[in-house]
Amino acid sequence: MIRHSTFLGAAVVAAALVAPNAPLGAAGSAISGTVKVTGLASGADAVVYIQQAAGTFPAAKPVEMDQRKMQFIPHVLPVVAGTTVKFLNSDPTPHNVFSPDNEKYNLGTWPQGQTKDHVFATCLKPPCVYTQLCRVHPEMEGFVVVLQNPFFAVTNKEGHYEIVNVPPGAYTLGVWHAKAKAQPKPVTVGADKPATVDFTLGR
Amino acid sequence: MFQRLSAYHFVARAVLALLVLAATESTALAVPAFARKYQTSCQTCHIVFPKLNAFGEAFRLRGYRMPGETAEMVKEPPVSLGAPAYKQLWPDSVWPGEISSAVPLAVNVKLGDVNASTLNEDGTVTSVKNDLQFPREVNIFGAGTLGDHVSYLAEMTFSENPNGSVTVELEHARVDFDSPFGPEDLFHFRLGKFAPNVADGFQEMWISTDAAIDSVFAYNPIGINGGTGLAGDVSPSPIALPDRVRGIEGYGMINHRALWVAGVVNGVGPSPTDTTGRFDGNNAKDVYARFDYKIGGMGLDGDMGGRPAPEKNWRDDSLRLGVFAYRGDASNINFPVTTEEGLNTNIQDAHFLRTGLYASLFFKDLNVFGVYLHGSDSLQTFDAETAARLGTVEPDFHAWFTQADYLFYPWLQGSFRYETVTPADPSVPSLRTGVFNASALIRANVKVMVEYQRDLRQGDNHSLNALLRFAF
Ligand SMILES: [Cu+2]
Repeated sequence: MIRHSTFLGAAVVAAALVAPNAPLGAAGSAISGTVKVTGLASGADAVVYIQQAAGTFPAAKPVEMDQRKMQFIPHVLPVVAGTTVKFLNSDPTPHNVFSPDNEKYNLGTWPQGQTKDHVFATCLKPPCVYTQLCRVHPEMEGFVVVLQNPFFAVTNKEGHYEIVNVPPGAYTLGVWHAKAKAQPKPVTVGADKPATVDFTLGR
Repeated sequence: MFQRLSAYHFVARAVLALLVLAATESTALAVPAFARKYQTSCQTCHIVFPKLNAFGEAFRLRGYRMPGETAEMVKEPPVSLGAPAYKQLWPDSVWPGEISSAVPLAVNVKLGDVNASTLNEDGTVTSVKNDLQFPREVNIFGAGTLGDHVSYLAEMTFSENPNGSVTVELEHARVDFDSPFGPEDLFHFRLGKFAPNVADGFQEMWISTDAAIDSVFAYNPIGINGGTGLAGDVSPSPIALPDRVRGIEGYGMINHRALWVAGVVNGVGPSPTDTTGRFDGNNAKDVYARFDYKIGGMGLDGDMGGRPAPEKNWRDDSLRLGVFAYRGDASNINFPVTTEEGLNTNIQDAHFLRTGLYASLFFKDLNVFGVYLHGSDSLQTFDAETAARLGTVEPDFHAWFTQADYLFYPWLQGSFRYETVTPADPSVPSLRTGVFNASALIRANVKVMVEYQRDLRQGDNHSLNALLRFAF
């Protein structure tokens, strides 16, 4: 029996990643919207993020990227610079994790149930995108997107995203997708005035 | 049809033998149906296809199941032929099973640009330049699993002839029962037409050269004084360590590291004069057995014992050693041979034995492997007209090969093979052949090969072929 859990997983990930990253006690508002990708059925797995927010943001708690069913789950994982990502292997076959991007790293190959950590320490020019690859299974691909601040979200299967607890202010909202791009858009958020920003991404 | 053998014209015979040598091809498979089923790359199982890495070998031996496979690893959900609960109702219901949702067909295509030089019997040399054999052969096959304990492989090969006609060969048609009882992977049984596991590790899914290992698989022992060379289009089918059999085989893995194989098969096919329509040339069955042990690297069933695997999945620092034996009975199967005096005779091989040693060493990007094979035969000669027995000889021969495969890049492999066979007929010198091969994956499923094969005793026999193979 096959469990179709991918769809549910994507929606949960988008929500779960944002909440713990929000500064405590911030009386912020939300930015939400929909991302469409020209030529793709789904606007899923786009990262919508505030390019630059005032202040410094400490690393969040470690987050996990699983290797399960011979896939990186979640497929796209945005993190604040300094965050530790725990790479878990849930499959009975050995997996490897390496990235050919930026300063490059190779964490080796490990069996089921074990994890290896990698700290995404810095990112001079966000977003810093690290493609996650497995030498053992060349079709496997995942992305860690390193950002300056915790105000980001990943779109779900319907292309919807919601960034919560954004402090009031004027920002530039960027969007990253593995296969498509779009120009950043300005956004202003009031204390009780949520904003809506939609994107249409092209190749 | 009578083979004409002369004790004195051994050079000419040897040349004929090499003509055949240049013509036999290896027939290994890459099965993209699995890439679709698991939505995974060819490199999960292959080094430079069809050569398997350790994981691919485990996948093959486990009956096309990944080590520790769970249902969620299969990305193409199968169609249920009955809910599992029907097992409890049996015998009042049909035992449930599964089939794949799409017919798991796959295709391999091979194109060749052939350049060959051949020394003829009269001393002249025939040369062929840039013969574009497009296509050379097309293989269509299906392979997969049917529920938890059944797997199958069926393959048809279409090879095009110079006159445009096509020869179709049924290369595989087998069903396997995988671990139907007992501990997992200890017992597997297959029946049908298949590549026997007696040659596992040096044939079928391992040989990445276009040329087959003829010293081991194509030596023909029939001759007045024993065999003189390789089998050509000899009818009935030659007596050799077979690369395909019709029969039943059991095999399994013990404690991740040992492989046992035992088979009972038809053996040599009928003589051309046999009109019974039978597939087996006589009522006796051939038997074979093998035992292997692997030291280091991944277990034969994919077990890593909790240790980290090498991140380059073609690497598997290990040593695998094996012994094998094939005992055949070709009594009552006539091989027509004309003696030098012009007497038409029939030779029968009352019983024959092929025993061998196998070793394969993986170290980083290098794999060196080889086989030593010893053969003994019991040849009985009969007068073709009177059927009077003229005599018996019990000749011996030996053959060996060694091959080194080196992976320069994940997409570029160089191979060198030396092979030799010392025929039983003492008047015939050993055949020695060298093969160089460079194989480049220009895509994961597209391979370009340049292969040079040379008769190391007679320099006028050589070939240089460029080949393109793709699988989808
Ligand atoms: Cu992997």
